Amino acid sequence: MRQRSGRYFFLIMIPALVLLALFIYYPIIEGTLIGFQRYTLFDMSNTPFIGFDNFRAIFSDINFSFAQILLNTLVWVAVSLLFQFVLGFVLALLMQKPFRGRGIYSSLVFYPWALSGFAIGLVWAWIFNGQFGLANDVLLRLGLASSPIGFLSDPRYAMISVIIANIWYGIPFFAIMLLAALQSVPSQLMEAGKIDGAGPVRRLFSITIPYIKPTIVSTLLLRTMWIMNFPDIIYAMTGGGPANSTNILAMQMINKILKFYDYGQGSAFGIVIMVLLFTYAVVFLRLTSDKEETV
Amino acid sequence: MKVIQRVIRVVLLALFLVLSLGPLYWVIVTSLKGGQEIYTFPIRYWPSQVTFENYQYLFRISDFSTYFQNSLKVSLAASAGALLISLFSGYALSRIRRRKPKMVLLLVMYFTQIIPTYMLMSPLFISLAKIGMTDSLMAITVVYVSTMIAFSTIMAKSFFDRIPEALEEAALIDGCNRTQTIFKVIFPLSLPGLAAIFSFAFVNIWNELFLAVMLLSSNHNMTVPVALNSFISKAGVNWGVLSAGIVVALLPTMVVFAFAQKYIILGLTEGGVKE
Repeated sequence: MRQRSGRYFFLIMIPALVLLALFIYYPIIEGTLIGFQRYTLFDMSNTPFIGFDNFRAIFSDINFSFAQILLNTLVWVAVSLLFQFVLGFVLALLMQKPFRGRGIYSSLVFYPWALSGFAIGLVWAWIFNGQFGLANDVLLRLGLASSPIGFLSDPRYAMISVIIANIWYGIPFFAIMLLAALQSVPSQLMEAGKIDGAGPVRRLFSITIPYIKPTIVSTLLLRTMWIMNFPDIIYAMTGGGPANSTNILAMQMINKILKFYDYGQGSAFGIVIMVLLFTYAVVFLRLTSDKEETV
Repeated sequence: MKVIQRVIRVVLLALFLVLSLGPLYWVIVTSLKGGQEIYTFPIRYWPSQVTFENYQYLFRISDFSTYFQNSLKVSLAASAGALLISLFSGYALSRIRRRKPKMVLLLVMYFTQIIPTYMLMSPLFISLAKIGMTDSLMAITVVYVSTMIAFSTIMAKSFFDRIPEALEEAALIDGCNRTQTIFKVIFPLSLPGLAAIFSFAFVNIWNELFLAVMLLSSNHNMTVPVALNSFISKAGVNWGVLSAGIVVALLPTMVVFAFAQKYIILGLTEGGVKE
């Protein structure tokens, strides 16, 4: 009986496994090979293997500095993540206690989660427009700027602008995850804290945060990978410019493919990203499994 | 003291609400402004005259209704496909007892979660070009099903894990076969989970840009994100028409979110590895 159901289980997994093999795993292998080939749209029948030439090319490209792109990626991930988390946590704490209309309120503050990152990037590109943008209007009205700022055309402001858009987009995710975790904190624990004379701030840091720490750690670590691989907003707002000031690894890979039609160098970027992701995932798994053992 | 706390809380909640709705409000207002008013400074926060000319323009000069239908067809078909397939694979993963095969299969699923979809752009384009399947809505639907399968399976598994096996055994003894059991026992018990999987897939597929840009080229095959992308690549962005396009592009996932929020949150928190 068990033997037969084992075979049945394998049978009903076949469609999923076949699709994954054909459209995820095979392309990843193919993509890895392309990274070592000269492969452009203009000459798709002649694609010789050229060793590490694509990697050499992207490390010494005259159009951008690879070190700068790495640094941009780091800033993009770290700053976005920090503010998404802190603001998402604040929002979750504010929403923890029930209030009238909380259901509707949550729809109105969580909805950005469901929106297209690309479309949201376009909205923010319009908000940060250097001539007729909402951001400039607000700053001028408040007297914080004397003339309109070219947020997306000035390398000094471009990265801050795309990060602000990304923070706005990412707050709901953290708020949703942390609110769910907060609601799992047993009320007896909080009561006990109150009886022991702990104020709200004390209770937050000595009861709530330790209790939901596993959720905090895992959402932060997973979100890091996700933001690193989220070029949609940058693509819509700046395309990586001006002067590469918002160019991150994922963005440059897409530019190589969509603007230069160079699949070989694009895939070389892909391999670099995959190596980083893989290393990160291993560290992440180590960290989280250690956590479980000590809890 | 209590009063001050309450006031601060209400003010902060209001602030979050304004910040969250602001950009949406702004794109809607822009889409309702007439030709020159968009390009006046200082800005008007409400159109001096509300007009739908941007929307008329959008649907008249471009084939936006075609793009919209393409997106809708592809998203619905691919979400349904991912749901149906993951219903079986998730069930199998949940019920397989032997440790080793279970671990391997779980790894096969989880590993795909660290692969971002834009990684697949050039290899999929090259492979599909070889068999003449680029620029095909059918092909991209199958691709989208595949990109959603692993996450859907993981989610389905976590829902099925909570359904006691005793229920199926009872059905098996009553003479149902395995497949009937899935449809008659498992399916009805996990409807919220299935709703979560479907809405999740729908939102992700509707919003997907890079694979679509890569794989779809002819005008009558474009999905909404590809169309928006072509609007901005053409010289001189018309922000009025583009805003109208953005509003139309955002609507469906907002509607899905409004109706399925409960399930989506359930999916995020229960099955969640990736967004």
